Amino acid sequence: MTPGPGELAAALAGKGYFADEGLCTAIHLALRLGRPLLLEGEPGVGKTEVAAVLSRVTGLELIRLQCFEGLDSGQALYEWDYPKQLLQVRVAESRGQEAGDLYREEFLLRRPLLRAVQAERGAVLLIDEIDRADSEFEAFLLEFLGDFQITIPELGTVRAGTPPIVVLTSNRTRELHDALKRRCLYHWIAFPEPDRERAILRASVPGLEERAAEGLVRAVQRVRRLPLLKRPGIAESVEWARGAMALAEGGDPWPVALRRALGLLIKDEEDTRLLLDHAEELFTDA
Amino acid sequence: MPDPAAARTNRPAADQTADPGGDPVAGPRGGPAAGPAAGPAAGPVQLVADHLWGFLAALRRAGLPTAPPKRADLLRVIAETPPPDLPTLYWYARITLLQDVAGLPAFDRVFDAWFRRGASDDPPIQGEDERAPSPGGPGADDPPPREVRPGDGIEASTLSTHGTRDFGRTGERGHALMRALEAAWPAALPATPSRRRRPARSGDRLDVRHAWRRARRHHGEFIELRHLARPPRPRRLLILVDVSGSLRQHTPDLLRVAHTALRAAPARTEVFTFGTRLTRVTAALSHPHADRALRSVSRMVTDADGGTAIGEALEGFLADPRFVALARGALVIVLSDGLERGDPAPMVRATARLSRLGHRLVWWSPLACSPAYRPATRAMSAQLPSLDHLGGVRDLATALAEVRRLPAVLSGPRHTAARHWSTPHLMGAPR
Repeated sequence: MTPGPGELAAALAGKGYFADEGLCTAIHLALRLGRPLLLEGEPGVGKTEVAAVLSRVTGLELIRLQCFEGLDSGQALYEWDYPKQLLQVRVAESRGQEAGDLYREEFLLRRPLLRAVQAERGAVLLIDEIDRADSEFEAFLLEFLGDFQITIPELGTVRAGTPPIVVLTSNRTRELHDALKRRCLYHWIAFPEPDRERAILRASVPGLEERAAEGLVRAVQRVRRLPLLKRPGIAESVEWARGAMALAEGGDPWPVALRRALGLLIKDEEDTRLLLDHAEELFTDA
Repeated sequence: MPDPAAARTNRPAADQTADPGGDPVAGPRGGPAAGPAAGPAAGPVQLVADHLWGFLAALRRAGLPTAPPKRADLLRVIAETPPPDLPTLYWYARITLLQDVAGLPAFDRVFDAWFRRGASDDPPIQGEDERAPSPGGPGADDPPPREVRPGDGIEASTLSTHGTRDFGRTGERGHALMRALEAAWPAALPATPSRRRRPARSGDRLDVRHAWRRARRHHGEFIELRHLARPPRPRRLLILVDVSGSLRQHTPDLLRVAHTALRAAPARTEVFTFGTRLTRVTAALSHPHADRALRSVSRMVTDADGGTAIGEALEGFLADPRFVALARGALVIVLSDGLERGDPAPMVRATARLSRLGHRLVWWSPLACSPAYRPATRAMSAQLPSLDHLGGVRDLATALAEVRRLPAVLSGPRHTAARHWSTPHLMGAPR
């Protein structure tokens, strides 16, 4: 029972996420084929949010694994609870008994990937910023992403009863391995078109006037065309609208409020200077 | 939620895919096996299958090979839920087949040619096979060697001259110097504690896992402890080699220097060349034999001995987030004379950003080998404050001396090039 792209769009919008046709199709296919979904895109286009909203729509638990350089299996899969094992030995010793098997499930510390495999109803697993982990970690993800199973030498292989919905995100700071990409569906999230960005603003900044939203979106779309070091994402434009709203409530006229809140849209000194050079053409009708 | 497959009218799969969305343009135009020759006897199913296989083959010819499991995904999806319209088919194909956004323009071209007549001006795909542009590499006269990944070249500027050049053979003395360089690099490369801890005799953390395993042999008694340490991990080394005309006589030796670095730290070194365009030559240069490596570089680098646009090339480098990631925390070495024609501002800006990104920024200029050299050109003097070191390298011997000087540069404070060059006696006697 996989919802179609259209129904998905409606369901996601109901939870405040406005996805375009491509993304909805991607999610639909990921659910139908049971494949992990690899999302790439510029920072701030809502890659991570996809997993969060999916968990809200499906009602499944969201399990998040934030990647970083040096991430190892002890942090991603499982670890044995050594202090607990040690205590077990001591207790057994004081009672004059055998300690017995120390590699049982009760001594296992479950880390995100194992938790996702063992979740009874399934789960939404977010493997965030996979490009930050080193390539050794990618290699080790392969078994997991291929069959949704994890091998624990002392216990055997743990297989997922209900495969988790897996979302991977990457900022493209590093080329991912082909073997990893082959196992995933791929979708590039582009910056939203004006209509969709307006809808997002309407939903996340209540009280924003329609005309103001229109001008703001127009300005953001123009700003993204400038050769900036970092182009503002959706998160930034929402923040900008919120900031400007707050200033406008404090008595600033709208255009002034927009300019004064610019620090929420652009977060680099060089970019700010570039923007101020083009301020006239950017903000004339904002 | 209701099942979308059930919600749709359940027409036979073949019927619908043969004619996506009733679109009359999706006929077998250009499909190699789907022409009239296939005949009515082949039936619509066969026609559709042929057309799809033709599309997949065209993708491969356009430089976008698709792995069998990905193709199977697409076919499964189409068979189970026939796409109701062309956009849906497009998204099905793109999401299942595409692996990297860099291949998107090529993918769109092939899709348009096979499923959307008139959406592109391309001639029929059959005639285009040989000329099908690879993604990111249009405009290159000769196809890049196989080991080069597409998307590495940046568009050429108007200044460019296209022509490859033979870099010659390495002499007897050259080989000896290159061996010495290869041996000298490891000590010169900065290291940082690895994020990945390894078992060690002593270290900053207890290796409970190991210690516990050993203790079990003694009934839970810890007789010896094990530790985890963070072994040093070499930082990345990023070498940018200027191959423009003003460095003509030095280019082969500068590339040989880069080759020795690649040999010394293969996994941590990246090499780019720039003249009027930027080319990633790491893969081409990594052949163990120096002369062969140089030959494959010369095949790739079509802007050797052309004009200089250092600023533009460096800006091109910094515009790609993946390249920026290579510079982050790395030892960046630029081999260039820094003779920028025209406005030096872009080059100065780019150098400043490189300096902020990297661990150290070292500039090696052949001109600086001369005792009379002063960084007095507008570009050079303006960017001097961003540099950590400005040294003279024009051949293998001077490179060896500079590599041996690197540890001092790395341990010293940053941005000292300007101070040293305003009081030249601190530099030691320049060769």
